[in-house]
Amino acid sequence: MIGIKKEIKMGSRDSILANIKRNKPDLLPLPEINLEQFEDSLDLVEEFTKKVEIVGGNVFNLASKDEVLKQVKALFPDTSHNYSTVEGTSGFNTISLEALQRPHDLNDLDVLVLESLVGVSENGAVWVSSNQLPVRVLPFITKHLVLVLNKSCLVPNLHHAYKALNGIDNDFGVFISGPSKTADIEQSLVIGAHGALSLSVFLIA
Amino acid sequence: MEHSVAASIFNKNEAKVNWHDKALWFVRHKRDLSVHTVKGWEQLRELGSAIKAHTLSNLDNYLVEFEENALKNGVQVHWAANGEEHNRIVHSILKAHQAKKVVKSKSMLTEECHLNPYLEVDNIEVIDTDLGERIVQLAKEPPSHIVLPAIHKNKEEVDELFQEHLGTKPCNGDPQYLTNEARKHLREKFIEADAAITGVNFAIAETGGLVVCTNEGNADMGAHLAPVHIACMGVEKLIPKQEHLGVFLRLLARSATGQPITTYSSHFKKPREGAKMHIVIVDNGRAEQLSRPDFRASLHCIRCGACMNTCPIYRRSGGHSYNATIPGPIGSILSPGKDLKKYSSLPFASTLCGSCSDVCPVKIDIHKQLYKWRQIITKETPQPAMKKMSMKFMGRMFSNPKQYQKIGRAGRWALRNLPKGLINARPNVWGKERDLPKGPKESFDDWYKKRNKNGK
Repeated sequence: MIGIKKEIKMGSRDSILANIKRNKPDLLPLPEINLEQFEDSLDLVEEFTKKVEIVGGNVFNLASKDEVLKQVKALFPDTSHNYSTVEGTSGFNTISLEALQRPHDLNDLDVLVLESLVGVSENGAVWVSSNQLPVRVLPFITKHLVLVLNKSCLVPNLHHAYKALNGIDNDFGVFISGPSKTADIEQSLVIGAHGALSLSVFLIA
Repeated sequence: MEHSVAASIFNKNEAKVNWHDKALWFVRHKRDLSVHTVKGWEQLRELGSAIKAHTLSNLDNYLVEFEENALKNGVQVHWAANGEEHNRIVHSILKAHQAKKVVKSKSMLTEECHLNPYLEVDNIEVIDTDLGERIVQLAKEPPSHIVLPAIHKNKEEVDELFQEHLGTKPCNGDPQYLTNEARKHLREKFIEADAAITGVNFAIAETGGLVVCTNEGNADMGAHLAPVHIACMGVEKLIPKQEHLGVFLRLLARSATGQPITTYSSHFKKPREGAKMHIVIVDNGRAEQLSRPDFRASLHCIRCGACMNTCPIYRRSGGHSYNATIPGPIGSILSPGKDLKKYSSLPFASTLCGSCSDVCPVKIDIHKQLYKWRQIITKETPQPAMKKMSMKFMGRMFSNPKQYQKIGRAGRWALRNLPKGLINARPNVWGKERDLPKGPKESFDDWYKKRNKNGK
């Protein structure tokens, strides 16, 4: 048939690489990403809020970080397992990560409050990375997730987001857009699959 | 089984086919609404295509760069020439960790390699944790769609499956209740798991990191709890730099479901403290596909499923009718490269309408490749006598205009005057399941000449 076959007998790494080297086409250019073609001059806060709502989350506008706890308590008045990494909110915490034996023990976590440094208007995604995340499973295992973000941290699209992240070394990071969801049963949208059942984003003025 | 035969089985339940058809078209519609709000969408597709083409043209070097950086990150890297070697590697990692309970998030590659049955032989429990995949796993079926694995099942069937396997109460297929029960059932599995396996959406040469996209959060629940995370990827998942994620993550979810991005786009780079991370890089026929100039662009695919949702054949024949790991238009250009004989009917499961190519986020010329596979298959695999005869006959007819006109006239007359029973008689497969239109009195040629004569 067409194509080149027949592996040369080597360890698989070398034979795979040799086959690819032999079969690949001549080098093609790597295009530059020109950001101007994507600029849509939409209002960042308005667009971000709209997109977070589309993906099933809620946005709350706060005058300052000092209001975070008050707003969290208004949303979740009766929760017993709480954790926050926001400065000045440690009184809210009912669990201690230092005492944590294994991440599995977070299974009862009700509310988690995390800070973020990048939010993306075009898709409502908020970046959470290991630098702000003492235990990786936290934003997934919690029942309710609150993400706190300065308005000035909003960027129009993912190209800008990766520019902002460039050079920041993260062992792990995740864009979170809305609460976890599925539509695997007859295409009916159900909020709350394996991850958080609700997502609130606090935008700080 | 040929695609057309398997499709006719799916078509026995007309109501279900109609639902399937409409549900997928609705997803295609959501895709349209979503992409039309993105300024520069076509340029974005161009970029996606060009970045993938460049990466493939330098793939060996990018793989080496990726490996080097992944090793620096403290991740172990393995290479598998084929599915068998991939399974052996995954099995040996699990054995080294004495892992008996494994949670797996969606990975079409592990489906392609038939990893689950391989591990189950050694009494390793593998739980598919994506809800749709869990549903088809309980039903002992393969996924019928790469993004919507259980799209062929109705909620009543899911209800029954869950009653049988998870002990749920009858609920008339209430999706909220069933999803909640699945959440509880799978939460237990996440907590108990000795190891987590995930697929890979993108692997970044520059950082040695990889990105996994889910809506449910199942990849993360698995990988961040289990002591060992094994990520399995085909060689074509590479992209050069982190900034290129901006292009592909903008394209992927919009093309797949119309969402602006998946709920979670998780960037794994280093293992978490006290845990291990392995990456298995798999060829399994991809280097060979790379050698075929006409077909290598099929390796651009980012597995969004848009070509399936839009395909008039896929929507009406169901994913299982393709009898291949990747169904639909993209599967029909990938599969013949693996086994030309076994998959010889797939490139014919198309109207060549080109809708797949129009929606493809990385601009794979899918319908052109389907046509090219047809040329090869017709030459290299035996064709039915009836088809060979009619092709020869048509070849002669089309090469002789006078004869073509004569036969056209006779055909139009027949379609106007002969009884339906005769027109739809068995040799005419076009008359199966449908009535042919009434033959017009004049041909296009007659009409065109008349129109010209009547002044312009």
